[in-house]
Amino acid sequence: MNRKVNLNRPKISSEEILKRKNFDSVLKQSVLSGAKPFFKKPWFLSGVVALTVALVGTVLLTTKNTKSDQPLVNSSAQVADSVALQAFYKSEEAKPCISPPIEGLNVRYTTYKVIAEKGATLNYKTGSVITIPKNAFVDEKGKALNGEVEFLYREFHDAADFFVSGIPMTYDSAGIKYQFESAGMIEVLAYQNGKQVNIAPKKEISFEMVSDQNGAQYNFYKLDTLKNNWTCLGKDKVKPSSVATKNKLSETIEITKLEETPEYINLEVKKVEAKKEKEADLVSLPQPAKEPLKPAPYKKGKYTFNIEVDANEFPELTVYKGLLFEVGDENKNFNKSMYDIIWDEATIKEGAIAGLNYNLTLLKGLKKYDLVVYPVFEGKNYEKAMLSYQEKFNKYKSTLDKRIVEEKRIEEVYQAKIVAFKAKQEALLKANRERMDKLYKEMETAEKVIRMFSVSSFGVFNCDHPSVYPTGVVCSASLKNDLNKKLMCYDVYLVDKEKNGLFTFTKNPVTRLSFNPKSKNMLWTVESGVLYWLKPEQFSSITGAAKELVLNKVNQKFETVEEMKAYFNF
Amino acid sequence: MIETSKYHATQNDLVAEQAMVEASQKEPSKFAGLYDAYYEQIFRYIYQRVDDKEQAFDATQQVFIKALESIHKYEFRGVPFASWLYRIASSEVNNVYRAQKQRTVNIDSLGVYGMIEEMEETKIDHYHDKIVDIIGNELPEDELKLIEMRFFEKRSFKEIGLLLEITENNAKVKTYRILEKLKKIIK
Repeated sequence: MNRKVNLNRPKISSEEILKRKNFDSVLKQSVLSGAKPFFKKPWFLSGVVALTVALVGTVLLTTKNTKSDQPLVNSSAQVADSVALQAFYKSEEAKPCISPPIEGLNVRYTTYKVIAEKGATLNYKTGSVITIPKNAFVDEKGKALNGEVEFLYREFHDAADFFVSGIPMTYDSAGIKYQFESAGMIEVLAYQNGKQVNIAPKKEISFEMVSDQNGAQYNFYKLDTLKNNWTCLGKDKVKPSSVATKNKLSETIEITKLEETPEYINLEVKKVEAKKEKEADLVSLPQPAKEPLKPAPYKKGKYTFNIEVDANEFPELTVYKGLLFEVGDENKNFNKSMYDIIWDEATIKEGAIAGLNYNLTLLKGLKKYDLVVYPVFEGKNYEKAMLSYQEKFNKYKSTLDKRIVEEKRIEEVYQAKIVAFKAKQEALLKANRERMDKLYKEMETAEKVIRMFSVSSFGVFNCDHPSVYPTGVVCSASLKNDLNKKLMCYDVYLVDKEKNGLFTFTKNPVTRLSFNPKSKNMLWTVESGVLYWLKPEQFSSITGAAKELVLNKVNQKFETVEEMKAYFNF
Repeated sequence: MIETSKYHATQNDLVAEQAMVEASQKEPSKFAGLYDAYYEQIFRYIYQRVDDKEQAFDATQQVFIKALESIHKYEFRGVPFASWLYRIASSEVNNVYRAQKQRTVNIDSLGVYGMIEEMEETKIDHYHDKIVDIIGNELPEDELKLIEMRFFEKRSFKEIGLLLEITENNAKVKTYRILEKLKKIIK
């Protein structure tokens, strides 16, 4: 079958796919709905009278005393609940990309005043440093701004920060949803006279963000609030940091493959050049003349023909004088009477074994004979031919030997170069390994690291790596409040103290709550602005299967994120 | 490589899923849960193999209609319900090919680079085009299926094994043999 190839076709988002979900249509189109309508089925017709009676009875009873008709009341309430729930889910799903779950509780911005034409170096309370170049701001029309610009900045470093910010910590990569583990997230904005400003083209604002998370597995992402997803911008750079070492930092770790560095590539190029040089040297060596043919002696008793050959056509046959063509033993059609015939024509062609034998064709009228013949020399002619051959062969051999020596020398020079280049590459690899080992070791022992990156636009940026839900126990969980009432909540957050992320589930019941039982866990959710949580010790009773979880209401109203962190023992 | 699939299921998942299947067998409207759970992954499976988005949506719809119509015949065999859906999806994709007399291969350069990396080759750009050409023209269908699942859909060998009804190890061995073969061809 023919194939059509599409290369790098654009990805399709989960939102677009999910928009097309239509279960009602599946139901309608299936043969289950195409079967005979239920009202035409015999069981319906036979039961219709009884049902009518029952309905009349129900209406009468309901009119009399609706409270006594409990099943009917329950059914309506369930429908109403379900409608309310669906409406609630829809409103939650329609919320903006960044939706803080608790009103009034968020990580506060630090505001700096920056003179646009001068730029600035700003120090944030965590020790992070922000470098703004001069003339870095433009208005919405791209016009360069002068004067004072309000520069707003905040950082998010742990699950509590992520939670209150309402910034999504999930990442959709080609339809696969990941949960982010973060090494720190920032939001950066700027205003002039109340209007948001932009970063000028070709200008970048640089950040040296102090992070608790060492390690080089993190990528650098920007939040796309329209697509409600993160865009990977590449990798950040990491360097160790501590109060003691901050001013004498080791070099920055750049996560690039050594094989991609200019030094390494340069050596690869040199290898190729050396090979080309070798090939050119070999080509320039003098080519020895063709090896001379050793003359063969005439064997006594054999028949020979004396035929003149064209020196241009057979130069190898005219090197020596006194050439004869000896008739080979394979010629079964030869008889000595052929000697007595005066042939009209005799032609020679190269034989099956080049340089050794020839085909002789003899023609007389309509008679034609093909013979395999061998060039030979007789008596003195053979001796002279051998002398001449020896002289030519010595000359040939001498040139050949010289060439072999020269070829060997060229090969040795080439191999020496390759060995030297390889040694340099090995040394680079070794040095790189040692450098990385040293830096990783420093990073492991350092309390904090500095993550360095630059941005050319404002918004939310995150040093993250995509991860999956913690594993160990999986269950479906129905969340209730302490009055045993189902919580009307949408986002449910798992905090795993061993991971710096916020693992998000949606809807109640959570169909697949997954967590690591060996870790210290918490579950947070919000109903009507009130925070509920499942304490770490409550996780020990969850062993799998379906579970009803009673969450605790947090009665304390937090004024700051720090208060919340103290409450949850961060 | 991170194991990314939602296809893997624990014993608890399988039991919970089977309960949904049994409910759907009694009452078709209960099939909505399974539809919700698998719609996106079945769509993505089909979309990877066809040319057009609308065609993929239509085929996905057909898969679920057929699944709903046949769910009374479904028997639990200890593997995720998804494997049954994928079988229907595969058949639906074949219907598309037959109708169009053409098989679509959607190649992602990152996947090709992944293949080259697995081959432990460094001339990434040099080999990229050659591999695309081989996949588009020469690679036998059974080999293409493995490459497609492993490198363009980033499926684990376990999942590939379940989908192609071979063992996980066999999926792995076959994939690496194909890579070896490709390596010889492109060099």
